Amino acid sequence: MTTPDVHGLIGAYVLDALDDIERAAFDRHLRECPICQGEMDELREAASELSGDAWSVPPPALRGNVMAAITAVPQQGFVPDFKKPRKKPRLLIAAAAAVLAAGGAVYAVQEHRVRVEQARADEVTALLSAPDLLVRDEPVNGGGTVTVAVSKLRNAGLITLAADAAPSDGRVYQLWTIREKVPVPAGTLVPGQTTTMQIVEGIDGASDVGVSIEPPGGSAVPTMPLAAAVHL
Amino acid sequence: MGERAISRVPDAPGTTPDDLLSAVARGDEQAFGKLYDLVAPRVYGLIRRVLRDPAQAEEVAQEVLVEVWRTAARFDPARGSATAWICTIAHRRAVDRVRAEQAAADRLEFVGRAAVDIPYDAVADEVSGRLERQQVRRCLSGLTELQRQAVTLAYYQGHTYPQVAALLGAPLPTVKTRMRDGLIRLRDCLAVS
Repeated sequence: MTTPDVHGLIGAYVLDALDDIERAAFDRHLRECPICQGEMDELREAASELSGDAWSVPPPALRGNVMAAITAVPQQGFVPDFKKPRKKPRLLIAAAAAVLAAGGAVYAVQEHRVRVEQARADEVTALLSAPDLLVRDEPVNGGGTVTVAVSKLRNAGLITLAADAAPSDGRVYQLWTIREKVPVPAGTLVPGQTTTMQIVEGIDGASDVGVSIEPPGGSAVPTMPLAAAVHL
Repeated sequence: MGERAISRVPDAPGTTPDDLLSAVARGDEQAFGKLYDLVAPRVYGLIRRVLRDPAQAEEVAQEVLVEVWRTAARFDPARGSATAWICTIAHRRAVDRVRAEQAAADRLEFVGRAAVDIPYDAVADEVSGRLERQQVRRCLSGLTELQRQAVTLAYYQGHTYPQVAALLGAPLPTVKTRMRDGLIRLRDCLAVS
């Protein structure tokens, strides 16, 4: 899609009337266009006024439930605004550190896998030290972050998932790369697993990375809507 | 009940949703309680309008309000109001839920039901005559029929723009454009109100 085509989606974007792939494309467009960001903020303000017409008194129990829930939920610290350029070294290092920190949890597991993990760690370090590393992240629906670090030079990428909670009903997260609009499986988590780190070789042909929620063992095609989508 | 919740809020500094959300970002639970009282009817009402199921709406509203607590530090007052920021989260979550349900439902049956639903009347009994409601409706009535339909079918019912195009029997590019210029007209109307 050319830029004018994408920008024409701004109304549908503000109304949440895009599918996940178009939404990701528009997010990318916004990052590259500060003026569009301003228009989007204004239209979003107007759209949210529509909620005034739906105003309805919530069930009395909701207040107590919410107030009780927040005492158990830690707050996220200050998050750098996504519209700021990612190329700044400071941000890049911070993002890479976050990727490694999330990966650390994965490494801490079974002893017999230590050697395999060490090899993987070396691979990860090599990838993250690539001079052309590009890091993007998006929130995961339900809390958490998926971070994708890509090096064209090494033609490899690292997908790091750090979800706040596992999907309900024993379902699992599954990672995907989207290549020419075709989703290709990139790893499936086990029930209860909320973090992972996945190296993807040959990332060059991929336009997006997606995270879906699937039955245990994963699926051949992703179940919509995606829990997260990162446009590369 | 709803009238009182709104009218008792003074305009003193520190008690607008923007001020409260900034305090929430610093971990102030009391401020979150006050913010809840200000925005929960809007959040719950919006989600209920989209989902049309009170039990699910309550569940999603709780998720949204907890997310507001969790991510309050992301709110940037330079980019818009706290209310809009919260409504954006609420609408997105409601739409995600509707799409997930819809994926499992009979699509034709869903579209058939949606086509006869009149978004205005769902909760009219509860809050008739409220100022904001009148203002939103007045501004909506200033849109062309196609603009109004495109905006409300997406916003209140969580349809994608291709679904809206199918419901209205209008071409996709037209629907995209009407969504955008409808929102622009709405923005201009609300700005002068």
